[in-house]
Amino acid sequence: MTKPSIGDLLSAVAAGLRESVLPEIPAGPTRRQIQVAISIIRRASLVWDKVGPYLYADNKDIEETLRRISPLLDRAESNESTADLKPLCQKLRATLDQSDEPGVEYPSPATLGARNVELQGSLAELQEALHAESCKPPEGSQRPPSAERVEILAMLRALFERMLERELEVTTPSAARK
Amino acid sequence: MSVSPAVAVEDLVVRLKEFLEANLDRAREIQIDNVAPITAGNARQAWEFDVRWLDGGTRRKVSCVMLRKAAAGQLETDLLPEFRVVRALWGSGVPVARALWIDAEGRWLERPSFIMEKVAGVTDFLALLKPEMAASSRAIARQLAAIAATLHAVDWKKLGVDFLPATTPQTAAAQQISYWESLFLKHRMEPHPVMVAAFIWLKKRQPIAHTIGIVHGDFRLGNFLYEGDRINAMLDWEMVHLGDPVEDIAWAYRSLWGPQAFFSLDEFVERSTELSGIPGDPEALLFYRLLSEVKHSIISLTGARSFMDGRTRNLFLADRASTITTYLKQFLDLLPK
Repeated sequence: MTKPSIGDLLSAVAAGLRESVLPEIPAGPTRRQIQVAISIIRRASLVWDKVGPYLYADNKDIEETLRRISPLLDRAESNESTADLKPLCQKLRATLDQSDEPGVEYPSPATLGARNVELQGSLAELQEALHAESCKPPEGSQRPPSAERVEILAMLRALFERMLERELEVTTPSAARK
Repeated sequence: MSVSPAVAVEDLVVRLKEFLEANLDRAREIQIDNVAPITAGNARQAWEFDVRWLDGGTRRKVSCVMLRKAAAGQLETDLLPEFRVVRALWGSGVPVARALWIDAEGRWLERPSFIMEKVAGVTDFLALLKPEMAASSRAIARQLAAIAATLHAVDWKKLGVDFLPATTPQTAAAQQISYWESLFLKHRMEPHPVMVAAFIWLKKRQPIAHTIGIVHGDFRLGNFLYEGDRINAMLDWEMVHLGDPVEDIAWAYRSLWGPQAFFSLDEFVERSTELSGIPGDPEALLFYRLLSEVKHSIISLTGARSFMDGRTRNLFLADRASTITTYLKQFLDLLPK
């Protein structure tokens, strides 16, 4: 069955509530709650089929970025005398290795979501580790961050920009912004 | 089980009567009328009503607004500091409603609640953003800058609000970071790497405050009652604290609700500085503008978590997590390249 789609169904329910239920409800807290419910149903109708592709693209982008970051992190670990990034490098490799494991052909949004949370966790840990290292008292005079760190931070910032742009399409879809 | 509005009103009248009998000295024949729920923030439920009583031989009447702490929501702050600050500010030059009575533990009124005298006016900030309202809105924003100056320059030690957590110019920013980060770690439902990045950035660039003052914490269009081009009372003091006054200015100028279309941030800072003598340091301002985006994200996250955990059924909070993307995008847009 493809018709009505979940999107069609939710969109029609939102329209029905707005056109036939809302006018019957007097102004006040209950009416405002119904209005909010209608907006939530409307958003769901616009994004229900975008969540899977969004998570797939997001996971791919995060994995590719982490793959490019991984050798830089290894270099930072061997070049910086204060750095103790070995556990992080190992953990990152393990996380990335999982994406090479043979999986199902069409992962469900739930599977993609679980992977997304895992990758988000790697990004959070990576930043926390780099920050903790940069907060260690330097030996001798204060040194500027290494070229590797500067490059990693720039790559992360660019990744975050892309992640938020993608996320906006499901949290605030353009049709709902009009 | 839900309670019908009529039963809720009847129950509230009984509770209010008992509460006022215990708190209004020498009052007899207490009568409560015109009880109705009104719109307020998501952290408090608001009711309005009139109280009449006999005080000796004199009949008295006061129109009131009662704020009750919501069961759970996007902010889980205590009412007592809010009530005590509002009461202390009465007569200070900062327009506030007269704080009358508090049931801090919810012994009489079911949940922690306080009662203020009703103030005339509306809070509608969307009306202020309409182009045809530009002249009135500009006058209001100018007055808001003057209120900021008065609030931030007030001698808070003399005012007796030193029950608020202490801070110093060196630690004010760190305390805010720590407060919001602890809520983030408590309420997040996924790792949120962009938020982690935001906290790291903020920790590395904490400004030293020029002075410590009372910070309203939710100082913005929509959080005051106005009539025409006059502000009658600042509302929603639930995030009040001691801190860097620049924090309030940064919050007031978030793109979501700021008055920049008719009164620029530079004009606001200039006016406020002229009246208070507190400079609006650009670096501190940038820091607090960035913190504001993080703060609003965490308020949204807290609300969404309360809803998902079933601690509230307020639908306003159900989809609040979806707003975080916009705020974090704003954070990255404001971040120096």
